[in-house]
Amino acid sequence: MNEHESYSEEKAAYLLNHLELILESDPLIDEVGFIHPSQFVTLNEEIGQSVPSADDISTTLWSKDHKLGISTHALLPLFKAAKREFVDAVTRYKELSDQCGENGVGNSPCTVSSSHSSVESEVMKHSRVLLLLSCDFGTAWHSRKKIVLKMHSFSVFMDELHLSALVLSYSPKCEHAWSHRRWVIKSIAGKCSTLQEIVGKDSELVEKIAERSKMNYRAWNHRNWLVSHMSTDQVLHELTKSRNWAGLYVADNSCFHYRRRLMLRILEDSRHRQENGSTGHNVEIHQLLKEELEWNEMLIKRFIGREALWLHRRFLSLVLIKHFLSDQIGTSMDNDFGIFLDNELRLLSSCSTIPDSEFEDYQAQALHSTTYMLWLVKQVPEFDGIGVQEKLRTDKMKVLLNDACPDRSFLWDYLISEHCLKEN
Amino acid sequence: MEIFGDMGELAAEKHVEYILSVEKKKDSFESVVMEHLRMNGAYWGLTTLDLLGKLHAVDVDQIVSWIIKCQHDSGGFGGNIGHDPHVLYTLSAVQVLALFDKLDVLDIEKVSTYVAGLQNEDGSFSGDMWGEIDTRFSYIAICCLSLLHRLDKINVENAVSYIVSCKNLDGGFGCMPGGESHAGQIFCCVGALAITGALHHIDKDLLGWWLCERQVKSGGLNGRPEKLPDVCYSWWVLSSLIMIDRVHWINKEKLVKYILDCQDLDNGGISDRPDDAVDVYHTYFGVAGLSLLEYTGLKAIDPAYALPVDVVNRIFIGRQSKKES
Ligand SMILES: [Zn+2]
Repeated sequence: MNEHESYSEEKAAYLLNHLELILESDPLIDEVGFIHPSQFVTLNEEIGQSVPSADDISTTLWSKDHKLGISTHALLPLFKAAKREFVDAVTRYKELSDQCGENGVGNSPCTVSSSHSSVESEVMKHSRVLLLLSCDFGTAWHSRKKIVLKMHSFSVFMDELHLSALVLSYSPKCEHAWSHRRWVIKSIAGKCSTLQEIVGKDSELVEKIAERSKMNYRAWNHRNWLVSHMSTDQVLHELTKSRNWAGLYVADNSCFHYRRRLMLRILEDSRHRQENGSTGHNVEIHQLLKEELEWNEMLIKRFIGREALWLHRRFLSLVLIKHFLSDQIGTSMDNDFGIFLDNELRLLSSCSTIPDSEFEDYQAQALHSTTYMLWLVKQVPEFDGIGVQEKLRTDKMKVLLNDACPDRSFLWDYLISEHCLKEN
Repeated sequence: MEIFGDMGELAAEKHVEYILSVEKKKDSFESVVMEHLRMNGAYWGLTTLDLLGKLHAVDVDQIVSWIIKCQHDSGGFGGNIGHDPHVLYTLSAVQVLALFDKLDVLDIEKVSTYVAGLQNEDGSFSGDMWGEIDTRFSYIAICCLSLLHRLDKINVENAVSYIVSCKNLDGGFGCMPGGESHAGQIFCCVGALAITGALHHIDKDLLGWWLCERQVKSGGLNGRPEKLPDVCYSWWVLSSLIMIDRVHWINKEKLVKYILDCQDLDNGGISDRPDDAVDVYHTYFGVAGLSLLEYTGLKAIDPAYALPVDVVNRIFIGRQSKKES
């Protein structure tokens, strides 16, 4: 059956009008969902309408406690109606702007400003509904940006963040909605005193959305972007705060990457400070890396065979060696580097033995631990001079790798060959 | 090819039928909310048809005149008539015109001025006038200008150094400096560096290693660690591996089988994973992936320009021979 055929153009316009009224009367609506008509009965009972009336609104739109529900059957007619109104408003807006000669030189002051602002609010009203129905409608986002820029009002910018969050509540991966936030933050940066607070809140929003939308690249990318607008204290705070989350979702590589981003930013800040003559913070980041490695080892032993944990370890060890241990390599084994290497070799040997070959996770653990060590050896050429390779049983490694992952046999051959690692 | 003997085969005819049918199913909510990116859809669908040797099944003049209607005064293209311009759709428009050998309908100066105007001082590219920056837009701008023979309009050196600044310690690339490595972004960065002759900035062993770790047990490729495999990554990962000459580090036979397992044998089309619903996007990436894997009966596709090799040759070699004659 073609449900939307039952919606005439007038009926759709009537519903659209009502939807816009709901949005206007409750600016605090913070969640939108598309609901199957059968669910409306239950929802209407909840708000006390035990016998749902047969009118169009109560079977199409639902709102309570700042939540908004739209019937899936009404989406197409509502979209068509909203688009019609939006296109019409944008066209009129463009005509008026041309009359006002915005880009012209030496024009007389605009005489149509009142109708201008009423068309502006029409564009804002219809684009909002359109975006709640179709979040990838770029032209609607753009039309809002144009108008918001002209308003020079802080609260209007904040309203845009709210609309973006509302869209993300039903479409957490919507690229336009994320990009709209960055546009707002870039637009107000340097012009408002509460930027740090806004950035902090945005970071919290990402965490909230990442909770129900796992491994959401767009969300985490936004959080990575926010780091460039954070103060050093904020960065340290974020590092503390995100640790708990990462420990709960050990398969979510994005959160570990976020921690890497934060740590690199701290390193960068400390390099700037060093250039200005102070050294204290360098000790701090060294300690931070060591703690992260210990925490990571604990997670590795608790959650067997998780790729994201081992990739995180690759990063931590490499950064630790490059920034803090490289001058110790080859001097003696009685230093921080020696202790580090001993620990890694011990971890490798405990993780690369497979106690139960029936259990796939153990095989994955063996594979990840072995490739972790190979990766490190290849990334740190200084290892070659101090006999690390002799400590690795490369013959055993090769058997293990080919057993666990025969598909990559050419890579294993290449890595354990005369060019990279000597076979023994 | 012997090695494909015991596998299912590519249902080429079905896929052609599927692609031709997509344009006709217009009146569902799912299809109207996609109308803003019809230009991308045209590129995916038409390139697939060309790889399958069936480009002649469509009305060229009708498509070309629609494309022209999507162009704005700025020179950029929208995703459909009445939609704002963006570099994403501008590349698709140029690619589709290239497929049909119709680049001469363009005011090349105008289009390339639009694209070049999106470059920022640090070498990065915005997607449109609203200033969102992403390494995807770097690739798109570079690919587009190269196809138009107008790379001289941008600062290539800055463009390259911006891309290099998005490289991570794992060898991969993200959307921006400090962004997480992602196979799609890696394709864009490797493709842009390949086109500008700057692949020496890549540690091929390191990146190749990260990319081949994307192959999972089923043979399919994922785009990031711990994610499920998805047919579209057959393209992003595979083309990158080819450009850096490390494609022998994955199991190609198993990947072919994975893609073939994602076909809808009854109604045509390819999905992200076996038994999911098909769409044009994954149909294109599946067929393009098979083309990169030298599957019998498919035209070869260029891993950097994402166009059939004969189309790319026509643009870069054909023009010379025309001049000579
Ligand atoms: Zn996909």
